[in-house]
Amino acid sequence: MALQGTEEIEEQIEEPEDIQDQDARISPAEEMPGDGPGEEESDPLLLPWDRFSAWLHCICVVGFDLELGQAVEVIYPHHSKLTEKEKTSICYLSFPDSNSGCLGDTQFCFRFRQASVRKSSLGCFLDHFDRDAPVCLKRDQGHFYGYVYFRQVRDKSLKRGYFQKSLVLISKLPYVTFFHSLLKLIAPEYFEKQEPCLEAACNDIDRWPTPCPGKILTLPIMGVVMKVRIPTCYDKPGTSQLVQSTPVRGMLLLDTLVSIVLPTIHEVDLFRCFYPVFFHIQMLWELVLLGEALVVMAPSPAESSDTVLALVSCISPLRYCSDFRPYFTIHDSEFKEYTTRTQAPPSVILGVTNPFFAKTLQHWPHIIRIGDMKQAGEVAKQMKVKKLKNLKTLDSKPGVYSAYKPFLNRDDDIIKQLQKGVQQKRPSAAQNAILRRYFLELTQSFIIPLERYVASLMPLQKSISPWKSPPQLRPFSQEEFMKTLEKAGPQLTSRLKGDWIGLYRQFLKSPNFDGWFRNRRREMMQKLEALHLEALCEEDLKLHIQKHTEVETVDLVLKLKDKLSQAEREQLPVRTGTLAKLQAHIEAIILSLPEDLQGILHKPSSP
Amino acid sequence: MSVLPPVRKDRIIAQLPMFFTKEAALHTKDEFNPKVKTACQQQKTGTVGFKISKVIVVGDLAVGKTCLINRFCKDAFDKNYKATIGVDFEMERFEVLGVPFSLQLWDTAGQERFKCIASTYYRGAQAVIIVFDLTDIASLEHTRQWLEDALKENDPTGILLFLVGTKKDLISPAQYSLMEKDAIKMSEELKAEYWAVSALSGEGVRDFFFRVASLTFETNVLAELEKSGSKRIGEVVRINSNTNNLYASSKKKQPNCCQ
Repeated sequence: MALQGTEEIEEQIEEPEDIQDQDARISPAEEMPGDGPGEEESDPLLLPWDRFSAWLHCICVVGFDLELGQAVEVIYPHHSKLTEKEKTSICYLSFPDSNSGCLGDTQFCFRFRQASVRKSSLGCFLDHFDRDAPVCLKRDQGHFYGYVYFRQVRDKSLKRGYFQKSLVLISKLPYVTFFHSLLKLIAPEYFEKQEPCLEAACNDIDRWPTPCPGKILTLPIMGVVMKVRIPTCYDKPGTSQLVQSTPVRGMLLLDTLVSIVLPTIHEVDLFRCFYPVFFHIQMLWELVLLGEALVVMAPSPAESSDTVLALVSCISPLRYCSDFRPYFTIHDSEFKEYTTRTQAPPSVILGVTNPFFAKTLQHWPHIIRIGDMKQAGEVAKQMKVKKLKNLKTLDSKPGVYSAYKPFLNRDDDIIKQLQKGVQQKRPSAAQNAILRRYFLELTQSFIIPLERYVASLMPLQKSISPWKSPPQLRPFSQEEFMKTLEKAGPQLTSRLKGDWIGLYRQFLKSPNFDGWFRNRRREMMQKLEALHLEALCEEDLKLHIQKHTEVETVDLVLKLKDKLSQAEREQLPVRTGTLAKLQAHIEAIILSLPEDLQGILHKPSSP
Repeated sequence: MSVLPPVRKDRIIAQLPMFFTKEAALHTKDEFNPKVKTACQQQKTGTVGFKISKVIVVGDLAVGKTCLINRFCKDAFDKNYKATIGVDFEMERFEVLGVPFSLQLWDTAGQERFKCIASTYYRGAQAVIIVFDLTDIASLEHTRQWLEDALKENDPTGILLFLVGTKKDLISPAQYSLMEKDAIKMSEELKAEYWAVSALSGEGVRDFFFRVASLTFETNVLAELEKSGSKRIGEVVRINSNTNNLYASSKKKQPNCCQ
């Protein structure tokens, strides 16, 4: 008799069985008044600022002080904690780092390492939401995102002659489109009306419903209601968008003043981002998939961050598992670590604007140069991948610089389709949808054989015995997997030819595979634990203990208790009622023991 | 494809609720505009979507704006005073003449320091509820200023105004009738409909919000009929070949005073 707990505790799991139920709920929603925040308001567990914290860590104002340089002027709410190191990072990352002439308003995003691991008291509560979120939309455990609205305008009344200030939202949530829309509402008002505006905005946010995947959320802010839906991991990829119903004629204008429906919270416009290099999209997909060291050199933080986010998301629904920095500066705390020449370039994607990087990262294997987006028309003619030695200075031509030979043959159809779209002036949204679908199909073709093979590592149901430890997963064998490709490889779903085998071999060595496989294995192990628990609940435990000594029975009670708390903690995907049943079993066994023991066992179990 | 539960039974409006006093009412008709009624009957065919109106509530510090909203939306009254920071928000769903209709209620702070951001919140409002304290004549005087601020960044045409005196439970009938005279005078000046209520006892609160919902709904539908109106409704009528309604609804832009 061995009942074992697993060590991994804080991870979330998906619930594959729920797919059917959940699917029913994700039909595109019409523009309807969602339930106001009032619905959840009665939740007594939430204290002031808890709702705010579920969305944002804090809001910072970064200004330029003539003596100090960039400085965090205000942090809202005032009690939010940032270490000095984090503040320094935010300062540098919230301003363009070269005189790139970002005159007017600019929006971009950055990501930085959290200085210390701190678990908020809300952690558990938030993990609960994360469980249902797709992998790429889960809270970022070790990093913060900064969403910036930077304003630089001439102002003769100031000593510097310019007004330069950034309003920055700091969050662990990767909802880039959402936060940029939010900033568009808050920042211009803030720059005009100062602090009361931030105070009011924070108060608005603190009344929002928590970011629960799958629900249509009604989020009042600055006199407007934003409506969003956070996708769930059960959504069919590409189907979960919130669609605005065609507005009744004449009501359109009024409605945009009153409510805004965001069709997506995280997707960037892939076509716009890849336009300057769109002949190479398929190669870029391979580079991202394999976790190759990539740097995007762009004229502004807006372009660098958009392009990096587009790269990271082009392998969705796979999660890009290495580090990525939509905007990276020479002041970054990881600058030395990432740019050193003593080691091979790390598996990261960096977005940079400072010309200095053209030299510092000269040795990097893959460099994407994005020119000024305004001259994009001519850029699209650049077909060839350029030799790396040609990249020396800032004024090198836009394009992809790499010696990489793609594993797969180029799909000319997608290029032609997009080119035709450009000629016919097809709307950017349509081009984006085409490109997104293309990437999705490519990634799915690639990942399905792996999913299928990994699923076959699961032991048979009949091998689960309540009185033995849950059976082990079979180990992943590269050769075994490669053999399955002959019959059930990507050729089933993709017409692309090329060295798929080589691509898989390379992928299996990459951090993306490692991350993906760990996640799958954890899910499967939890599933096994759950099945084991269910099997145990079906047993007649009272009959069982009759055959055993008191010591063994006490041991069983302790182990069952342990099992129960594990199941609750990890939210194991057990059938409803299982845990209650287990609890009842425990009670019954305790009652069958002598009274003095009963007293001891009824005490709350020690951790 | 509604994802929402049905509208609460006590939020269904089938009849136009009456004004508070004839002397200060936005209009004194006792029924919904017939064009609106006709349009609503046809909306059951699903040609016109659902409607929403933004309502802002303004007024001096501590006159009871939040209490007024809470009495209606949550049927609750909290004796403790908690100042509103910035703005609070409630959504209240109705069904008017069988058509789903929602009010977005934006409850603004009365504090001076939030005045600068108020105009942001006022944008797009279709009704303004200006609240004053029946026991505080100064708060009535200030309503003029509140209205001016609210309309500063908004196109005032088509915005419905309501002047609401609160804390009616705290005032004797004699004091009240004195106050009412001033309030009605102010209503005439502001072109607002006057109401007196008590959030503590609930007196008048429900009637008031039903009136707000009904009048904003009516204005909304009329505006829509006028804008996109005759053509679209005409088509529907023809398909249904509903001769009763054909005349009333297919005529272009009839003046509203046809009653």
